[in-house]
Amino acid sequence: MSLKKIEQVKKDRGFKIFDLIVYGAVIVAVIVSFVVIFTTKNSDPLTGIRVYSGAQVVFEYAFGEKPTHSDSVTVEENDAGITVKVNDGDGGFNVIYIDKTARTAKIVDANCKGKDCAYFAPIDDNNKIIYCSPHGLRVEPLFRDLDSPNIII
Amino acid sequence: MKTKVKLVAVSIALCVIATGVTGCNNPTYGVHTNMPQDYYEIIDDSYIIGSTIEGCTAEKCETELLDNAGYSTEGRIFYSMSVEAQLCVSDNFKEDTAKEKFTQFSKAVYAKLNEIDKALSSTVASSDVSKFNAAAAGAELKISKITYDVLSVAKSVYELTDGYYNPALYYNVQAYGFGGAETYPHTAAELPKDEIIQKYTLLASHFGEVALSETADENGVNYFVTKPDFTVEVDGKTLAMKLDLGGIGKGYAVDVIDAMFDEYGYEYGYFNFGASSMAVKSHFEQGAYNMGFVDPRSPQRDPYFMTKIRNEKLSTSGDNEQRYFIDGVRYCHIIDPTTGKPIRTGIMSATVIGGSAAEDDALTTAIMAMGKERASNFIKEKLTDRKVVFTCE
Repeated sequence: MSLKKIEQVKKDRGFKIFDLIVYGAVIVAVIVSFVVIFTTKNSDPLTGIRVYSGAQVVFEYAFGEKPTHSDSVTVEENDAGITVKVNDGDGGFNVIYIDKTARTAKIVDANCKGKDCAYFAPIDDNNKIIYCSPHGLRVEPLFRDLDSPNIII
Repeated sequence: MKTKVKLVAVSIALCVIATGVTGCNNPTYGVHTNMPQDYYEIIDDSYIIGSTIEGCTAEKCETELLDNAGYSTEGRIFYSMSVEAQLCVSDNFKEDTAKEKFTQFSKAVYAKLNEIDKALSSTVASSDVSKFNAAAAGAELKISKITYDVLSVAKSVYELTDGYYNPALYYNVQAYGFGGAETYPHTAAELPKDEIIQKYTLLASHFGEVALSETADENGVNYFVTKPDFTVEVDGKTLAMKLDLGGIGKGYAVDVIDAMFDEYGYEYGYFNFGASSMAVKSHFEQGAYNMGFVDPRSPQRDPYFMTKIRNEKLSTSGDNEQRYFIDGVRYCHIIDPTTGKPIRTGIMSATVIGGSAAEDDALTTAIMAMGKERASNFIKEKLTDRKVVFTCE
């Protein structure tokens, strides 16, 4: 290779200004795509919790109000949250914790096989449900919009 | 050289963008329905419309605000036919008589469920079905009106579906570990042998020869069934036909409980039998119920599809409730009557709305066994008066 050619290669920059514009545009497009996808999810804040044992409502709570519950449920409430223990009448139970500050509800304990329900992510908006099949327990938002199912089969 | 490197870099970046845009909401499953588009809503991004089947004449249900101040809902749960049944009634329960009436109603429902179970259960030794299963080929047996009615529906759907609904696939269901069998096979070696399955399937193919008759005397009407005079030899044993009427029996129970709602004057509520068959009356606040159907691939049982239902009966079947996997292959409780083996049609779930729940239950089983093309044609030609939806992988 001649010296002239070597000098020419040395001067030739790896990234010209046009290249940088293309790469910059690609990176911006990638970031925008992911931001759009993850921020357009429906995320109505949770307004309350309703708990069904089988077909029967056994507990209801709207944030800022007093909870109501049936005899099969024990409730412990403090400023931070509410612990709800639902007994199914056959020795089965689920414990639900409602965090008043974070406005979330989660099953934290149960004596069903596998305890799958306790591993579900907390309900943090009006579009999530936790279902414990062995105990026939369903935890769902209290105020679901009118266009959501009221029976699921 | 550098130009090539740049082109590769840009291509990779575009692939990353494409993956980011489509990867999170990638539609995977197809929804096939004869309902017009304004009848329903797909509420899970994993599902897209696969096809719209023509010819549906069933009416659309609408919600409306109802003035039923003071009304609330009471529920009872029963255990019958090895599953849970939910009874929900909305009434003005502030009135003392309303509570008492509901108590009487729920007792009557429970008694009726027990009566049906005693007639149709294949595990209760004194049931009509157990007697049929224990009888020799060609035997005639006296049966209850309940069993007679259910067998009449079973025979009519068997004819309508060209045998794709067949309650005589009893041995096949058992061989694959379903229908109350003790265990599921765990390895391919534990699966039943093809030659045995072929014999079971041959036996079941004679279901059309099950004969029903009735006679009247001074004591009333007597009902009879005659078992097909056909047997197969398996492992040195002579086998005659056996039946499993569990699914269609639950649908039949739903039809009966639906009539009891009317008899007791209840307009609002529903009866859900084993999350497979339902009678749906009106919702006391909004007229129609928003009915969500469970995504057969969702461990959380999230709904994928929603439609409004009022004063209708329905049934739904899926390959997700009773199933196991061997070497990555799914084995479910629904048997393809052409192969005698668990279905491989790609249909994951089927729902039929309208008509009788007993028929609907048998129809959903048949649709799942038919496969997409045959099911679509069948729905178009023979189920125009019902709302039907099925999902495909």
